[in-house]
Amino acid sequence: MSAVPSNVEAAPSRQPWLAEFLASERVSWLFVFKGLLAMYLAIWLAMWLQLEKPTTTLVTVAIVMHPQSGMVLAKSFFRAVGTLAGSAFGLVLVALFPQQRELFLGTLALWVALCAGGATLYRNFMAYGFVLAGYSAAIVVLPAMTHPTQVFDSAVMRVSEVLLGIIVAGVVSDAVWPERLRAMLRRNARAQFAHFLDFARNSTGGALARGEMEQAYLRFVRAAVELENARAAVIFEDPEARARSSRMRLLNQYYMAATSSFQSVHRLINRLQRAGRTVVVDALMQLYRPISQALSPEPAGQHEPSILAPRLRACEQQQPQQIRELRATMPDDPVTLIELDTGAALLQRFTSDLRHFTEVESTLRSKRLRGHVERVSFRRGNDYAGAAVAVLRTFLTMIGLSVFWLASGWSYGPVAMLLATVFTGIMATLPNPVGAVVNAVISQGVGMAVAFVITFWILPGCDGFPTLVAGTLPFLLVGLYLQTLGGKLAPFGVGYMVGLAFTVVLSNPMVYAPATFVNTVIAQLFGYGFSAAMFIVIPSLVGTAWQRTRHMRQLRQQVVRAATEPLSDDLMHSFESISRDLFEQVVAHTRPDSHASRDLLAWALTVHDSGRALIELRQVLAGNPVPAMVATATRQAVQDVARLYDNPDAARWQQADQSLSTAIRAAAAAQTEAHVGIRRVLLRLYQLRSSLRDDESALAAYQTPAEAAHAT
Amino acid sequence: MPPEVSIAGVLVPALLLVFLGCLLLMWLLDTVIGRLGLYRYAWHPPLVRLALFFCLFGAAGLLLLS
Repeated sequence: MSAVPSNVEAAPSRQPWLAEFLASERVSWLFVFKGLLAMYLAIWLAMWLQLEKPTTTLVTVAIVMHPQSGMVLAKSFFRAVGTLAGSAFGLVLVALFPQQRELFLGTLALWVALCAGGATLYRNFMAYGFVLAGYSAAIVVLPAMTHPTQVFDSAVMRVSEVLLGIIVAGVVSDAVWPERLRAMLRRNARAQFAHFLDFARNSTGGALARGEMEQAYLRFVRAAVELENARAAVIFEDPEARARSSRMRLLNQYYMAATSSFQSVHRLINRLQRAGRTVVVDALMQLYRPISQALSPEPAGQHEPSILAPRLRACEQQQPQQIRELRATMPDDPVTLIELDTGAALLQRFTSDLRHFTEVESTLRSKRLRGHVERVSFRRGNDYAGAAVAVLRTFLTMIGLSVFWLASGWSYGPVAMLLATVFTGIMATLPNPVGAVVNAVISQGVGMAVAFVITFWILPGCDGFPTLVAGTLPFLLVGLYLQTLGGKLAPFGVGYMVGLAFTVVLSNPMVYAPATFVNTVIAQLFGYGFSAAMFIVIPSLVGTAWQRTRHMRQLRQQVVRAATEPLSDDLMHSFESISRDLFEQVVAHTRPDSHASRDLLAWALTVHDSGRALIELRQVLAGNPVPAMVATATRQAVQDVARLYDNPDAARWQQADQSLSTAIRAAAAAQTEAHVGIRRVLLRLYQLRSSLRDDESALAAYQTPAEAAHAT
Repeated sequence: MPPEVSIAGVLVPALLLVFLGCLLLMWLLDTVIGRLGLYRYAWHPPLVRLALFFCLFGAAGLLLLS
């Protein structure tokens, strides 16, 4: 989007690998250059402004720097918020308990622990803000503990240093040859759009292999969550993207709706095919063909939403007529007609979702944004047990270190506590925290050793800023370049830079104290070691089988919510987004093609299918007057399906199946009075039951063959 | 405007308040410009944003505090 001459495209050369190598090196060295520029600018400004510890500014820049400017700004924003909140809490803490060290440290430990728990609940940059809120409170109050009167000055200094670092990093990364995240988001969004449309177009056959459908669905869900994550960072980078932010959410909402109805249609067709209902399957495929044709204009326009949207609209308008014609050709048998109508309703729903999706995409691609601002939210699904464990672990870590500090009178205790704060917070969100801590200790240890060399051999020889730059440049350059290499070296580079920036002694005025330096490093390593030990004592839940089971239960609970929560406009969307977010969390920690992953996919498909049908059923029931008998039977059926998902077993499956059948019979009997509402209720009920009886779904394990046998 | 303002007994540099006010103003301006899509006409939008902020902050600081 930006009019910056888009990258120096290497001229087509005879050695393509060389061009590729140069292009990737260009990106790497640009990042190194920007990182160095930001760091030295930050140090210079901090020195010039006479801030106490220019190192804090340096650490901030080192942590925040990222090749993409949107990431830097998002990280910076949350870092700033976290720092302000943490410092404010630090001040309150000192004001409350200036004399009681037990209460003081206990409250501090609680605050840090709650912040760490909050961090595990948010899986984007907000997590970082939470960790920082805990850390900033500690960094403000711990050094000032011995002189409570200076805590205010200390808070002002820390906040100034951090904010200076943030401003410098943000300005440098955004204004100097920015790598825009938005371009990436746009590319991904277009690829996702094209992928889904191609998939919908090419599955005309209606019968997709189950594995193929599952893989595609996995990709759809991932795309939806990734798009939301990218959107959350891009809005910091680009005001135009911010103006389109809610529209992008709306797009994602329709995307989720369209993928849901797409898979529902295919599941139904698959089931009918397996049951040998060829007449209905053929009819539904005939009905699908116009959609596929609407999606296939000339090849140039195949991914052009402004061309596709009107074609889909036309297709949608013709559908009722086509359905009437198809019905006329069908054998006059109630079961066949119900099956056909259920499939036709799903197809109509799919067409309408698809049209909305393409229309929103088309407005997003137009130059000027028209229309009003929509209110859409993407809800997250969280596991509070994982957060509670993180809170407990962090609290115990802090308390343990406090006790050790108070009992031993070790004057470097605060340093150890400070480092433990950061580690227990950040690492709590990772699946293998112990390994991560060990890696971080190694990389930061190297950084600290280099910091020792810089502080005691190089800095004493510097007599001004230019010599400082000349002396430290090679060491910083190595760290930044390592970060661009990817793989295992990138985290090593980050650890190295953070370790170096943390320990190198740049202060106003400069001090030369090797003993203090070594003591500080020992205390830091002790803090790391202690938090690693705590991760062994209270292991992380992230990615464990236990948490997976909990997530699965939560996923099933979404169906219960769909059946019981008060109906509102938001219910459907909150169902769609929470269930996808949960699904994505579990998928992230299961190996593809493992048993657990297949099991999960089967459940996710079933949950999305049934939850949606339940909400629609309730909406139809609320919007149309139906005879009391039908309404009661339907409500009973909804309750029984919810009970089944709450805790699936054979008895509940049977119960749900029975009450669905009762409701279907009641609706079918009342239907003679020529009523639109009842027909709709009947179709949803039928869809639910057919999904319940699906012998390839996750519920298959609970089905009792005798019941499934006398179908309808 | 005096060079320092007392807020709840804490002396805060007036320039800081001006800075915060300018940030707010800039955010509003940014939203409007982004909504209208005017940044498309700029060669380097982030630089324009930065320059715009400098103009706002410089003008406000000089006018209010000199």
